[in-house]
Amino acid sequence: MEQDANRKFQKELNAGAVALVLLSVLDQSKEPLYGYQIAKRLEKHGDKLSVVKQGSLYPVLRSLEKGGLLESNVEPSVTGPPRRYYRITQNGRDILSQWVAIWQQNTNFVEAILEGTVDVSER
Amino acid sequence: MYPNVEAYLSELRERLAGSDPATIQDAVADAEDHLRSALEQAQADNPGAAPEALLSSIVANFGTPEETAKAYRDIEVRLTPPFAPVKTTDARPFHVRFFGVLGEPRAYAALLYLLTSMVTGILYFTWAVTGVSLSVGLMVLIFGLPFFGLFVFSIQGLALVEGRLVEALLGVRMPRRQVPFRSTTGIWKRFVARLKDRRTWTTLAYLVLQLPFGIIHFTVFITLLAYALQLLALPVLQFVFDQPLFSLSFGKYFVPIWSMPFLVLAGFLDIIVLLHLAKFVGRKHGAMAKALLVQRA
Repeated sequence: MEQDANRKFQKELNAGAVALVLLSVLDQSKEPLYGYQIAKRLEKHGDKLSVVKQGSLYPVLRSLEKGGLLESNVEPSVTGPPRRYYRITQNGRDILSQWVAIWQQNTNFVEAILEGTVDVSER
Repeated sequence: MYPNVEAYLSELRERLAGSDPATIQDAVADAEDHLRSALEQAQADNPGAAPEALLSSIVANFGTPEETAKAYRDIEVRLTPPFAPVKTTDARPFHVRFFGVLGEPRAYAALLYLLTSMVTGILYFTWAVTGVSLSVGLMVLIFGLPFFGLFVFSIQGLALVEGRLVEALLGVRMPRRQVPFRSTTGIWKRFVARLKDRRTWTTLAYLVLQLPFGIIHFTVFITLLAYALQLLALPVLQFVFDQPLFSLSFGKYFVPIWSMPFLVLAGFLDIIVLLHLAKFVGRKHGAMAKALLVQRA
């Protein structure tokens, strides 16, 4: 029961964060990346993101592409099916900077509440 | 758990059953790409390890087919606007589409709307014509203008009611509340705003048009329905009640027995064609209602 609640909370938190993370990874990368590479890069940063299953990154990538924040091209690969390489668009960069600002604002606000620097007690 | 990548993919396909085919194709392609890349990497890192063992740790990171399917479905729901026209082509075979209409509530609802549209048409037409002519006639008197004002406001109410009917029976999304006017503006300003609003006049046109359309709808569908019922009931009428197909002054006409199955079949086909026609006309009428009764942004 408790675990369910935690999972649900984690999922809701991740919902927006995953898109932000993916945009940011592609923004920092010099060359286009395919899904597995992105997942690998995120894996390096330890278990922090292991709550996000790698399989759920792909639909987010596709939805970002549909929204015009990413673009992709398919290239044949030697080993398996053709790979879809993603890169960020200019529109995606603009949106990313706005999202970063929103994220910062949000975390500042939540941290301020959690640390108790904002007076939320009854007046 | 999964002996190979294909086993995972086929389970993923099963979990996604019912989703948009394009989504399934995307999801399977993404998963295959990832799992093969990861497996290749893992085999290079641990030569000699069993692929099943490697695959199970890869899947632990990637997510079970169930989790992956859910991620795609969740995003698919967010991407499709709720009232977007359903563009999926009906992939059912022709005979299923043709006869399947018998089980479609939409077809019966459309038929109900089209049959009652003559009644509402008479009401709307009377209201509109009386309102306009009284307004014009009374315009020379002191209360002509207030009367016209009330009439114009009443039209919006009628439009809302008709919209509810259209949405309920024809399935076209229609407004659920009145266009709000700020109560701070005076009655005169609100009145002028309504007069300038294109929708007021298209609504009036709709209310008038509903009568001729209603008469046509009613006549066509009641005729088709009557024919169908007579043809279907023909064996009972002729053999049990000894009723002819029709009787004229010079005699009664009974159909030959060999033609009976064909005529009953024709009655059955008539019902199906009638329902298809009702669906089609209902869709067109709904589109017209939407064009004339809903305010343009």
